[in-house]
Parts: sequence; structure tokens; C-alpha cells
Amino acid sequence: MLQKREKVLLLRTFQGRTLRIVREHYLRPSVPCHSPLCPQPAACRNDGKLLSAEVTHYVIPDWKVVQDYLEILEFPELQGVIFMQTACQAVQHQRGWRQYNKLRNLLRDARHDCVLFANEFQQHCYVPREKGESMEKWQTRSIYNAAVWYYHHCLDRMPIVMVTEDEEAVQQYGSETEGVFVISFKNYLDNFWPDLKAAHELCDSILQSRRERESENQESHGKEYPEHLPLEVLEAGIKSGRYIQGQQHRSSLLGIRPVQGSDFKSRLVSDILIHGMKARNRSIHGDVVVVELLPKNEWKGRTAALCENESEDKALGDAPSEPMPTGRVVGILQKNWRDYVVTFPSKEEIQCQGRNAQKVLATPWDYRIPKIRISTQQAEALQDFRVVVRIDSWESTSVYPNGHFVRVLGRIGDLEGEIATILVENSISVIPFSEAQMCKMPVNTPENPWKVSPQEEQVRKDLRSTHLVFSIDPKGCEDVDDALSVRTLNNGNLELGVHIADVTHFVAPNSYIDIEARTRATTYYLADRRYDMLPSILSADLCSLLGGVDRYAVSVMWELHKSSYEIQKVWYGRTIIRSAYKLCYEAAQELLEGNFSVVDDIPEFKDMDLESRQAKLEELVWALGKLTDIARHVRAKRDCCGALELEGVEVRIQLDEKKNIHDLIPKQPLEVHETVAECMILANHWVAKKIWESFPHQALLRQHPPPHQEFFSELRECAKAKGFFIDTRYSSSFFSPCRVSLYLGCPEIDYRHFCASVTMAGLVFLQAAQHSQKQSTELFQCTYFKDKGPEMEERCIADGVIYSIRTNGVLVFIPRFGIKGAAYLKNKDGLVISCGPDSRSEWKPGSLHRFQNKITSTTTGGESTTLQLFDHVTVRISVQALRCHSDTIRLEIISNKPYVTPNMERPQQSSIVLKSELVKEVTRSVEEAQLAQEVRAKALQEECEEYCQTKGRSLYTLLEEIRDLALLDVSDSCGA
Amino acid sequence: MAGLELLSDQGYRIDGRRAGELRKIQARMGVFAQADGSAYIEQGNTKALAVVYGPHEIRGSRSRALPDRALVNCQYSSATFSTGERKRRPHGDRKSCEMGLQLRQTFEAAILTQLHPRSQIDIYVQVLQADGGTYAACVNAATLAVMDAGIPMRDFVCACSAGFVDGTALADLSHVEEAAGGPQLALALLPASGQIALLEMDARLHEDHLEQVLEAAAQAARDVHTLLDRVVRQHVREASILLGD
Repeated sequence: MLQKREKVLLLRTFQGRTLRIVREHYLRPSVPCHSPLCPQPAACRNDGKLLSAEVTHYVIPDWKVVQDYLEILEFPELQGVIFMQTACQAVQHQRGWRQYNKLRNLLRDARHDCVLFANEFQQHCYVPREKGESMEKWQTRSIYNAAVWYYHHCLDRMPIVMVTEDEEAVQQYGSETEGVFVISFKNYLDNFWPDLKAAHELCDSILQSRRERESENQESHGKEYPEHLPLEVLEAGIKSGRYIQGQQHRSSLLGIRPVQGSDFKSRLVSDILIHGMKARNRSIHGDVVVVELLPKNEWKGRTAALCENESEDKALGDAPSEPMPTGRVVGILQKNWRDYVVTFPSKEEIQCQGRNAQKVLATPWDYRIPKIRISTQQAEALQDFRVVVRIDSWESTSVYPNGHFVRVLGRIGDLEGEIATILVENSISVIPFSEAQMCKMPVNTPENPWKVSPQEEQVRKDLRSTHLVFSIDPKGCEDVDDALSVRTLNNGNLELGVHIADVTHFVAPNSYIDIEARTRATTYYLADRRYDMLPSILSADLCSLLGGVDRYAVSVMWELHKSSYEIQKVWYGRTIIRSAYKLCYEAAQELLEGNFSVVDDIPEFKDMDLESRQAKLEELVWALGKLTDIARHVRAKRDCCGALELEGVEVRIQLDEKKNIHDLIPKQPLEVHETVAECMILANHWVAKKIWESFPHQALLRQHPPPHQEFFSELRECAKAKGFFIDTRYSSSFFSPCRVSLYLGCPEIDYRHFCASVTMAGLVFLQAAQHSQKQSTELFQCTYFKDKGPEMEERCIADGVIYSIRTNGVLVFIPRFGIKGAAYLKNKDGLVISCGPDSRSEWKPGSLHRFQNKITSTTTGGESTTLQLFDHVTVRISVQALRCHSDTIRLEIISNKPYVTPNMERPQQSSIVLKSELVKEVTRSVEEAQLAQEVRAKALQEECEEYCQTKGRSLYTLLEEIRDLALLDVSDSCGA
Repeated sequence: MAGLELLSDQGYRIDGRRAGELRKIQARMGVFAQADGSAYIEQGNTKALAVVYGPHEIRGSRSRALPDRALVNCQYSSATFSTGERKRRPHGDRKSCEMGLQLRQTFEAAILTQLHPRSQIDIYVQVLQADGGTYAACVNAATLAVMDAGIPMRDFVCACSAGFVDGTALADLSHVEEAAGGPQLALALLPASGQIALLEMDARLHEDHLEQVLEAAAQAARDVHTLLDRVVRQHVREASILLGD
């Protein structure tokens, strides 16, 4: 016969009201006790698992013990364990299903000597909760009560040990009933299982982790992260100067770049360090956050040690650099979450992550992004793929953000998949153009060739017959967007013309194509392919100034004085041109140097008879020579006002027919490059001037902030190592008037025409393009070094220059391939590098000492090796394959002497190259630090005060670099 | 309260019952002197009061009168204080209309209506506390009340609900079990003949399991019958003692 009792629960509803719930609770005279000592087996109906008869005692864990030490109770050595229903329910309610299922499996496991006793449904064991009694106390009381009943039920034949974490319970119940002992769990393990080492160790580790958790909980009340402050508080805080607004730009060694305009800016010249996930408070790279500065005594320095990757929070290095402003994020103003490429953990890792396989921690490809928790059933199926996911939320109670699966990109390691990864990571859209967009496009097929329309002929100036127009571009270039012309006028003056393909004629403002192009922003050139901003009919055909066809263009023409090359007149306007030659840089250079053997390679000359060919050739060579002359002149003028010349090493990837990487070739700088660039700079400058005059309100001018002094410190130190002194104050005063001008949306002379035509929008997009470019080049580099055969072995050894010193290694630049990378002087086993008399390096035990400009490794044997800044070393390049991220290039120093190639001519030459390389390298690291990455400064007479192109490197050159795959390691120098 | 374990590995339900066990049932007949028949029932914490008037002449429009049998008119209502949250439940809302209709169908099947042509029998049921299985409690209360009124019936109508959790059929669901959202079946049975007066279920349940759930509900209804029979006999005994005096 059941007895009915009632339980009253008070619950809080979602609306915050209190709800009184009355639940019935039925008690029965007997529940299965699962003991072989049971005096009334018929009443207890003990079917199923029985406790072992050979045990010396029964142990009853308290609810808290079951919650916290379940792993220890799982030890098969522990026998005769009786789990009380009260304890199990406490686990279910407070620890969740995961833990409860573990407990259930344990109880089901026939090998494990434990049973569940449903004490709450037993009429003698059940004790109603008293008024004012806390849940915890009641649970302990009812477990004890059940233990006592159980003891008597077994006719006092079997002693019972109740283990609890509650000290009060030990005191209160310890000696209340004979035969029922109440002791603490630690005590129990010590006394009853002194030999069970594993259990003791486990117990200690659990205790410790719990203590840590508790101390954390005290700070944040059970939450992983503090809550963000409401928007009003943030805004008020920013205004009052209490908080600083900034953009998180690196999440690991995180720095916050203060946003311009906040008045803290004046006082705060450097970035703010945000150390650790906790201080970062759920902000992700790119978010606009609000930061509170910590008191000065909590400031930390950036670690100067090299670390494997940036995904983990490293403890600060043993010798941190001087403390810098440190803060913590108190709120996020704008989340810049995008799609992330992740890799699911492999099978083994999934198992490590626990049985609940539906939530998987996926590792993003980008080191700066924390792991993302994904709910998916397909984790196993997806583990070999690169997958796009989206972050949904990041609660303050969760260590990692929650996300969901979006789509699969491709297999890990597969070239297409990896390229797709790079594209997604840089938010580049590569969907083909839609029908609606394409139907507006003009047609140019052999049957239906595109022609110059008569109306346009009326409006535009026709240069087809009067001017010799030609283009100079890299080899194999399809989208020729600019062309040059030069001729002598009747009065003896020279006329220089720069012609840019007229895209606006085909792309009406706000048309589908225009809108699409705005989102695409630029054409992306990857190492082996490109993704067009405009349909190929435009970019590679109608808006490409190919040789021998009529094209619309926008031109700037200058009349120059015949000898002094002073600019006399400028003319801007729309034109029709027909480019006579489509030259490549190399051919142009050859012609310029009087080497006519390349002529046969120029298609335009092929069909001509010898005589006219000779005449045409002379004409062309004259034009090239004149152009170079003018360019030199303009440049000299620019230089005398102080121009900044910055160059990086550019590497071209040579692919063979099967798209295999054949070689990496450093680009040879030719004078023609400069000539073309100079003309474009001139054109940009004059157009900028014109726009600014005509549309002072619509011209978009950007001024760079004066560079932070901090960024120069490295340069200064480098220079000091070699005995130079650089006055950066002077350089900053030199840099500061530099301005970049960008022009957008001017109806008459569209920006698009002049900024190398097919590219529009600002530097931001171009940076994205460059990032993807860089990554794609790295991908190819890795592939290059990865499938090395025996003959490649030699290529992987190269000469490098040390350009920065860290506590555990050096940063090395390899001019041959244009690679920068870290080389460790101390490996993971704590061995340091040591170079013997034959300068071969070996790993030996020892220690490292870092000085200002050098690093010394001393072995225990007393040998020491010193590496100085700017030393040449021989390094071996290898590729480190990573599952979740892109492969990275590893460098290993194999000798502290420069690499000597078998070819004896090389070293001579390379050392010269190296020196200039080095200067460029150093200059660049400074200049990169100035936000406007690689910039070419130009100052022209007094105009420079108004709108010089200065460091706003002409977009032309920018594009040139994109094309040539500039290897710019921006992140490295920023973090330095 | 999602995630509650409705049936533990040891075979206990949340309130300590086993799968086939009913909640505690207590009932009393003839609670009101004014009405022709009345009864009060407690099934666990579900409490219902039923009052019966009739058979009497058709009230209101005479056109509703049926020439060959009596009209059974059922009204269901629920007290504002019947659930955890106080809520006004006006007459004529969808839920009570439906319940009234179901009760009417149930009792038209049980009452020998052809004995009282052109007359009307009113059954009013009010739920005082709702803790799952309100329909069953209403039917059981109304059965007792109809008997108290002395209206001839074919048999007791005994109702009980049943649910299905983890391959096991649970009899007589409480509110917690109902709220968990599993399939729930209400059955009104004429126990002597085993005929079904009403069977209602609006959740999805695999056909293979229907038999099992139906059997559990029928068994529970037979158990209810045993209890109700005891209550009726007790009531009759008390009444005869009073009359005998």
C-alpha cells in the first residue's frame, strides 16, 4: 500500500513570479535494497544486481561526494558502494545530464559493485524537508537517515561508512549510530584504501581544480567572463575618458589600437595590451571594443619570446619587455564576426573532448580566433575537411563561442580547398556574375565585333592616328588598364600622355555591375589565378588597352618643355585610343638598352616587312627613351624635395603547364618599372589636384596620423647595432605632412579611371587583397618546399639575415625567396644551438642570453655562440604541416656563416643585394608600422603641402605589387 | 522542466509510483443536498466536483428536445485557483467547450437516455485543482454523481489516462508527466462489457505501441472501477443505515 505525501516546491517562473507547485510523493513499505544480507528478500524483490557478499563494509557517498568525486567512485577497487537516490538526483539537477549519464552507466555496469537505493520512496527512509532547512542540509540528512535504516535493515551485520564533504555532518552524525560511520572522503581514502595510488592522485587533482574553479567563481559568480556593460555606461565612460574605445587587432598578444578622436589618444601613444582570454572578455579580432585600463602595477610587457603559434595564451616570457599599458575589455561596441574556416578535431581528439560528441570544439584556421563550439552530428564525417562556420553567440557562462556549421570548402591539404579557405578567410566573394549583370554587358564576338560608336567619336578626342600609344605590363597580363604615349609637338615641346581604360562608359553608376563591383572592390590576383572585379568581357577585353584595337580611355596629357621638361599645360579628357604595342617590362627594358633581339617576341612586329619594321622600331625606342628621360627627370625633382623609396623583395612564382610550381624567382627591378610608376604617380597627382579644385567637398582626402615613436624604437636599435643614429623625430616630422588622397564618386573624372582603372575603393580592400595574396603565396611556397625531391634539398638551404632578436630565437629574412621567419635557438627539449669551429650547428644542453643586439648561447661545455643583429647565417627551410591551419615555413639555423653557393660569383653579388635588401627591410618595418603599410612618399615642390601623393603610394604601384605578389609580412613587424 | 527523468532505471516515476500504479483516489457521493446528484473525487492532487440535475423538462428552447431520448447537457469549468498560476478561465473558452463535448459523448454512451425521451439531464463538472488527468477525474466524478442522482446507466464509466515513456506505458499521468510532452491517451471504459465510451489522443504514437498503451489505460480504468464500486457500495450502505433508522 502506497502512502501519499506532498512535496511543496517554490519555483521562479521566467517572468520572475514565484510559483507554488505541489507534487505528490508516494512512499512504499519496501524498495529493493540489493543486498545479499536482506532479511526479507521477498518483500524487497531484489532482482538484478546485488552487492558483493565479500565486502567488509558498505560505503554510502554523500551527494557532494557523488557530484565531485564520481571519477574516483568509478574505480573498480571500490566495492560495496550504495548510491542513494537523493545523491543521484542532486547530480542530475546540479551537474546536468552528462554527469548523470556517467552515473547511470556506472550503475548499469555489472562488473562494478555498486547499487542504487531508492531511499526517497521508502517510507521509513524518507524525511520531509523541514521549514527553513537548506537543500544541502536536507540531502545530507536524508542520506544519513537512509544509511541508518539500511544498517538496521541488514540486521546490523554490515558496518556502513558514509563519506561526506560536510564537516558539520561528520561532527553531527559521526557517533550518533553505532555501526554507521560518517567520515570525510579524504579520510576514507587514506584509511581504507591507502594503497590505491591512482585514486589519491585523482582526488588531489580534483580538489585542486575545484579550488581553482571556486576562486574563479568568487570573482565572477560562476561565469566564465564578466558581463559587458550596457551601452549607455560605455558611451558615458568613453566621453569621460574612463574607458578607451579601440579596435582589437590581434587576439593573442592582444593589442587594442586606440581609435582616433578619443582624448586619451594624446597621452596614450602605444597600443593597449589585453592579456589573456579573461581580459579579452569574448571580443574577437576585429571587434570594436571598449577597454578599461588596469592600474599601473598590473601592467605587463609583451613577451619577447618566440612561440610556436599564437593560439594559446603563453605565460609571459621570463624576461618580458618593459611594461606597457594593459587593460581589460568591458564592452563590445561592434561585433565584426564573419564566416570562419575551421577544422574539426580528428577522431581521437573528439574522444578526448568527452562523450557528448554533439558539441565539438573546432579550431579556426586563423590563429587569432578562439576555438568555436559547434553542435553537429557530422563531426566525424567532416573531420578531413575545411568547413565554414558562423559564430552565433558567446555567453558569459561559456568559455568558447557557439557556432553552427555552414558549408564544406574542401579537403584539408587539397589545393582548391586551401585556396577557397584563403578566399573565405579574407571575405572575398567569387561567385560568377549573374545573368542580370551580364545582360547589360556589351558584346564582342568574332561575328558581332564591338565597334566605336559614332556618338562617342563626336564627344571624345581621337588619338588613334595622331599618337603612338603603347602599354607596358608584366608578362602574360590580360587586363591592360593603362597606356602611355609621348610625342613631339610642332613647337618642339614634348607631350606626355597617360591613358586609363574608361570603365565608366560601360559601367553606369548604380547599375548591377557597379553594385557588384563595389562589393568585390578589387580584382584578386592569387599566385595561379585571379578573381575579377568586373566581368571578363570588360576587364580582359573592352576595358583592356590591348594592342591594335580601338578602346575608350580617359587621358591626362601634359605639355612639357623640350629641354627642362617643366610642365607647361595639362589636359584632361575622354579619348579614343589604339594602343600600338603591348610590351612587357622585360622587352621594354631590352629595347631601352638597345638590345633588339627581343623584337621577334613582340607580336606586333611579326607580320611587318623589314623596312617598316625598322622604322616603327626606331619610333618606339625613341618614345621609350624619351619616357625614361622624363621619368628620371620628374623623379629627380621629387627626390630633391625628399622622397621616400621603399621596396620589398618580390618573388614571382613560376608555374609550369601542369600548374606545378617550377621555381620561385625574385623579381628583378628594372628601370622601366620605375618609369611606368613615375608616369602613373604624375597622373595621379595631377588628377588629384584637378579633383580637389573642382570638387573640394567631394574629394576624399586622407591624412595619416603622425607615426608613433614606439614603432621607431626597433629601427633605432637596429641602426645602433651598426653604429648609426637615426633621428626619428626628424623622420616623423618628415612623415607627418604626408597625405594620401583618395577620390571617390566624382561625376566628371571618376576615381576609377585613374586609380589604375579596374580598382576602386580604398586601401582597406586592397589590404584584404594583399592579405589573400600573401597567404596564397605562402601556400605556394609551402607547396614548393614540401614536395622537394633530392635535387630540391639544396634549394632548401639558403642564406638568411638576422633582423630581430628574441629571447629564445631570432627572426631571419631570406632574400633569395623573400621569406621572413623565426628560427629557434632553443628547441622544445631545452637544448640550445651551438656552432663548432667548422661553424656547423648542433643542439646541446645549455642556456641562452639575450642582449640588446645579440644573443649568446652557452653550452654546458662552455662553448658559446653569439649571433649579432644583421649576421648572415645559413638556414634550412622546411615546412611544418599543421592540420588545423595553413602549413607554415620553419627555419633552422644550420651554420652561423653565410651560405656559400657552389657558384662563386653569387656571394659577391648577393652580398651587395643583401645590403640594400636589408636597408629596405629595416625601413619597411618602420613604415609598415605606420598603418599605411608599404607607401611611397613623394613630395613635389610646394604642392606637397596640399595634396602630394606622398606615402599614399600610388595605387598603381600598389596594384603592381599585388600583381607581383609582394611578400609583406605585416603581422610580424606589428607584433615585434 | 525539460530533462526530468520521467521513469528511472529502477522503474520509479517522479512521484515514486511504478509504471502501472494509480494515484491515490478518494471519492464521496452526495456532497450537495440541493442537487439531484453530486460527487467529489480526488485523484492524487486533481480534484473535481460533479453535480447532476435531471432528468427534467427541456429548459430554454423546446425545439432542442429529442423525441426518442434524453438530452445530455454537460458543462465543464475550471476554478481560477486550480493551477499553479492563478488565471481567470471564463465559461465557453475553447478548452472547456471541448471538454464539455467529450463529457457529453461519454455519458450519452453510458446513460440509458431512451428511458427519458423529451427530457434533459444536466451534468456540471468543476475542477478545483488540476494536476493532470482532468478529463479522467471529471468522468469519474460525473459517474458517481449520475449514480447519486439515480439515473439509470448501462455501467460505470471509468476513465483514466496513460502515457508512453521509453518503451513503457505509464498509467494515470500527473501534471509533470503530462507537461513533459509525450503522447497522452485518455480512455473512458465501460468496465463490465469492456466497451470503450471515449478514446482520445492527440499526439503521435507508433501504431505498434498503441496496443500496449491502450491496455495500460484499460487496466487502470478497471482499477478505478474497483475503487469507485467500493465508494458506491459504501455510500449505499451509509444511506441505507440512515434510512433504516
